[in-house]
Amino acid sequence: MADNPFPLDRDRLLAAYRTMRTIREFEERLHVDFSRGDIPGFVHLYAGEEASATGIMMHLRPTDRIASTHRGHGHCIAKGVDPRAMMKEIYGRKGGSCEGKGGSMHIAELDVGMMGANGILGAGAPLACGAALAAKSRGQGDVAVSFVGDGASNQGMFLESLNLAAVWDLPAIFVVENNAYAESTSRTYGVAVESYVDRAGGFGIPGVSVDGTDFFAVYEAAGEIIDRARRGGGPALLECEMVRFFGHFEGDAQTYRAPGEQDDLREHRNCLTRFRAAVTETGVLSDAELDAVDAEARALIDEAVVQALAAPEPTPDDLLTDVYVSY
Amino acid sequence: MVTVGLVANPVSAHDIRRVIANATSLQIADRANIVLRVLAGLAAAGVPAVAVMPDRKGITALLERNLARERRLGRSLPEVRILDMPVTSTVEDTLRATAAMVDAGVAAIVVLGGDGTHRAVVRRCGKVPVAGLSTGTNNAFPEMREPTITGLATGLYASGAVPAEEALLPNKVLEVSVNDGERTDLALVDVVVSSERFVGARALWRTGHLHHLFVTFADPEAIGMSAIAGLLRPVGRREPFGLRVVLDPTAASPTLRAPIAPGLIEPVAVSSAEPLRPDEAVAVAHRGGVVALDGEREIELRPDDRLTVTLRCDAFRSVDVPRCMRAAALRGLFHHQPNERGPDG
Repeated sequence: MADNPFPLDRDRLLAAYRTMRTIREFEERLHVDFSRGDIPGFVHLYAGEEASATGIMMHLRPTDRIASTHRGHGHCIAKGVDPRAMMKEIYGRKGGSCEGKGGSMHIAELDVGMMGANGILGAGAPLACGAALAAKSRGQGDVAVSFVGDGASNQGMFLESLNLAAVWDLPAIFVVENNAYAESTSRTYGVAVESYVDRAGGFGIPGVSVDGTDFFAVYEAAGEIIDRARRGGGPALLECEMVRFFGHFEGDAQTYRAPGEQDDLREHRNCLTRFRAAVTETGVLSDAELDAVDAEARALIDEAVVQALAAPEPTPDDLLTDVYVSY
Repeated sequence: MVTVGLVANPVSAHDIRRVIANATSLQIADRANIVLRVLAGLAAAGVPAVAVMPDRKGITALLERNLARERRLGRSLPEVRILDMPVTSTVEDTLRATAAMVDAGVAAIVVLGGDGTHRAVVRRCGKVPVAGLSTGTNNAFPEMREPTITGLATGLYASGAVPAEEALLPNKVLEVSVNDGERTDLALVDVVVSSERFVGARALWRTGHLHHLFVTFADPEAIGMSAIAGLLRPVGRREPFGLRVVLDPTAASPTLRAPIAPGLIEPVAVSSAEPLRPDEAVAVAHRGGVVALDGEREIELRPDDRLTVTLRCDAFRSVDVPRCMRAAALRGLFHHQPNERGPDG
């Protein structure tokens, strides 16, 4: 047995790979199914960004809360939401995370600390401040994590949330998932600083930038930041420099990309192949073990789609149920 | 026309040390202002043109705005040319910009960044001297100094007012080779072999994994891994040897405490420390691990990889700002000349 140089044991490494692979399978499948017109509404796919959600969420407890974005499937899966319930939700079927009435941008599962995907850009940040204030009041060492894209990080409420978290010294972590495009606008047009870490500095909180396609870089940095927040160290910002393999939304013609850009990203900045190379070259995990995880993930997503297609749609009688939630 | 190159890393000092050790995070506006002060120094020393590395929307965007303002205010600055090259926001920008500056025949290159940025410039600068300004985290190589003065000294050398013999000094490097040149790199200050085997968040701060330390020089007031060597046995920047330290992470009691990162003073146990002679390839007996260059994990080693470290003296030249300014003072280069425009014009 090879000695393990990584900061996770074999079981945890396999779990990390399983989460990333499940997200990838989920998104690749939606890409195909959406193009057939099977899915109502809009979907924004997270493929390419799996190392961020996984590397962060592996440090979180069910009682830690996250506030996600319009591109939230990866956050949901990594936080422990059942992909079968998610698929039903995206297909608009009963039994979905929100009984099929929310869709992709409203998946929530409070039991696992997932406060919701969010169709309003930047709106997760103030929600995370609220959850962080609750966590601080309870004093049990829980944290809240807000995800935001590079484009939404220009939103006023995101910047106001940084300030609020700083002045209240909240156990809040702000993750900027920088995939280089705000919808179709390159960050070079829309962001006045080279790194989002500079924005954190303006509010007096520390920021760290990592390669978001390197699971181990995200995992290590997130671990330090989250542990610091649990111990009363206050808020911090984590910038994950990453890539998205698909368009802003499904159906996006992506004319803003350079020719061959996506193929190049899949070949050179693919967090899954990078992870696989690292753990197999060191002999900690074998290709056979990872292939088995690939097959499990495919089977799970196949099952999720079959269940979703078999589930009934909500009826008019369901319209006014689940509107208010009792906490 | 005499031209000086300027490499300003817009994203140095953004790593995990902000969280684990309260390290500095210099804002982009501060970096742009540092560049302006360097330009003022260069202009006063007679440098007419400066070639600047481009970035996305960082220092150069602010710089162009600030330059327009400075010119409206009638302040004398060199002509600034932003290099026309692709921008990746990675170390490739520094490597590419440095090579372009060397090809363009710049007289010197001013560098804003930490040890990592300076290391990247030295990989490509050849015989062109560098003038370092510290804006990074671990700054053992670049010294802390007012940028105006670094600009003045660099300009005095570039314009020929102070000759190379008085303006420049040689520096050492550590050459790192894996499997007889299969992969090579260099460090300006320190090479560390750690039993961690992943690059991860890059910075090095867990002393329980450190096994070998090589330094070009060992300054007792340095910050970073070289501080371990500096507090054991100081070695000057110009002395013709370095230091090799073997650490013992399993030792029951530490040998000393060292400031291995800003705000982080940690105990370390040392097995041995001996001079590192130049031009001798030292084979490092360590199975696997990661090699950190100037404080950042860079090279992941497989168990059967063979690592050698070689000290080279006189590897590159840098502007010795105190010596250069002293030479200028002794020559009276800053004395007011009767035909010179004074402050009142």
